[in-house]
Amino acid sequence: MTTRGREVDVGDRASEGARQERNGAAGPRGADGTATATPAVAVDGLYKQFGSGADAVTAVDGVSFAVDRGSVVGLLGPNGAGKTTLIKSILGTVRPDAGSVRIMGIDAREAPREAYAHVDAMLEGARNDYWRLTVRENLRYFATISGVDPASVADRHERLLERLNIADKADEPVRNLSRGMKGKVSLASVLGGGADVVFLDEPTLGLDVESARTFQAEIRRLAAETGLTVLLSSHDMGVVETVCDRVIVVSDGRIVADDTVDTLLGPDGSHTVRLTSPAFDRERVAALRDRVAVTEVERLNRGARIEVTTDTDGLYALMAHLREHDVPLSRVRTVERGLSDVLVDLTTDAGEG
Amino acid sequence: MDADTEKRATGGRDGVERAGYTHLARAVLYREYLVFVRYPANAVGGIVVALFFFGVLFYGGRMLAGRALTDSIEGLVVGYFLWTLAVGAYAAISNDIGSEVQWGTLERHVTTPFGFAPVILLKGVAKLVRTFITSGVVLAVMLVVTGTTLQLDALTVVVVAALAVTSVLGVGFAAGGIAVLYKRIGNWLNLLQFGFVLLVSAPAFDLWWLRLLPLAHGSALLQRAMVDGTRLWEFPAADLALLVGVAVAYLALGYVVFRYTTGRARRLGVLGDY
Repeated sequence: MTTRGREVDVGDRASEGARQERNGAAGPRGADGTATATPAVAVDGLYKQFGSGADAVTAVDGVSFAVDRGSVVGLLGPNGAGKTTLIKSILGTVRPDAGSVRIMGIDAREAPREAYAHVDAMLEGARNDYWRLTVRENLRYFATISGVDPASVADRHERLLERLNIADKADEPVRNLSRGMKGKVSLASVLGGGADVVFLDEPTLGLDVESARTFQAEIRRLAAETGLTVLLSSHDMGVVETVCDRVIVVSDGRIVADDTVDTLLGPDGSHTVRLTSPAFDRERVAALRDRVAVTEVERLNRGARIEVTTDTDGLYALMAHLREHDVPLSRVRTVERGLSDVLVDLTTDAGEG
Repeated sequence: MDADTEKRATGGRDGVERAGYTHLARAVLYREYLVFVRYPANAVGGIVVALFFFGVLFYGGRMLAGRALTDSIEGLVVGYFLWTLAVGAYAAISNDIGSEVQWGTLERHVTTPFGFAPVILLKGVAKLVRTFITSGVVLAVMLVVTGTTLQLDALTVVVVAALAVTSVLGVGFAAGGIAVLYKRIGNWLNLLQFGFVLLVSAPAFDLWWLRLLPLAHGSALLQRAMVDGTRLWEFPAADLALLVGVAVAYLALGYVVFRYTTGRARRLGVLGDY
């Protein structure tokens, strides 16, 4: 049997709590909870095909979505799904065959300089700054490149360095820093230019646990306090679940899901429980099927392990039924589907469809 | 710290002043300066290599040609000086673009509100300034080694040499653009710099059409300035106009090629690949 569940521990609850707390401001609303007229990013019918004839590969296939200001949106999908091409098409480093991109209401094709003045991106993990320059010099240089007078954001740079715990390395050449530190410098240089929208491709790649948590907290803080809009692509589902208001799942160049993390994870009040009992035989399991949805059954040497999904009342009724019939339970586990399970389901379904 | 102050201090556009081209030029030049002073080995290595080849040329030539070479040593020194400038300018643009791709910084220059080409051009100018310094050192050593005296009117030399090399910046632009499109072709494009030897030594005053090639006309004027002592204002207006025209034309042509190749790289989705 393939187990696609994630067994919950106390630590997971903390991030779930943070997610649920955010959920009220998620979706089609800005950071202040009010609907915003102009999305930070609006993509409409984006299409990109590489090659031609029999060798043609459609990397982005009619993708449309909008991202409201101050929200953090995760862009997920398996390798080769088209995420990077989609991001690059939005950024203009890949020219789409069709469709439009608007950044802060500005058409990126008609007025690219004005549109991209609002944008910065961290596309290559740790290496998107100059390693021969110091941390501070990188921040100043890339702030200028993004169209900002570095003197006017000097305070911001100091705050960012402090918040990312790299202030003591500010005058150190980046090449001398550890991989995790380099990642932080990269992030700082992207955030330090005061962009309204940032694209982060695998931003936590190579970061240790503490650094990844600092990153997550900083992203949430900037989104909440400054209205920063973030589109991030990551294979780290923990980061996505913790940070993102909303998730867009891409498969074969198409959007196969676009919703809040909680909605994707399943409706509230639904429980999936894994029960192990030596008394579970064919008849008893058949009887249980009449009461609850038995989603999986694994035969054991003695008895079986079953997985059932039901609501709270159904769970109480199930337990009462088992007790009434003296069914011993050797193990009870609550199973919560993780985002990675949802992603696999969605992209597999899309592939099969 | 209240919310507004916090916002200004750590994110968002409030309180942020826009940077102009002056800020951009200062940032690009300052970066070049930092790399130059912090990692002098690269510059020193370039000077040593340039002087080594000049030594081979000078002493080898003297062994083979004897007095004939000594009589034309001023021309050789001026030509070699211009060649090092040209190679520096060319490599600056064409190689720099490849490096940016490898460093993952190219996209950030592509999405800059200043536009990709102006940033790359400024980077080329920054490298040109650096090349003027290193080539100046090479020139000084060459003069000492050969015991040659040249007329070094700074204004004339800088203006004529800079305009001559501007045409090479255009060629570098085109080569950089082609390298973005066909990544691994960079080493082949580097061979072009040996073609600059022909252009520097081209008899531009004998064959008029040679003056339309990059470097050739500028090289001839620089020879007059540094060997004969002709000042900038003493050149015929037509010669200066042609120098400016060739510089602008090749720069514009290089820019057009660069725009086309980077545009094609975007269509093919290979802009940031290496």
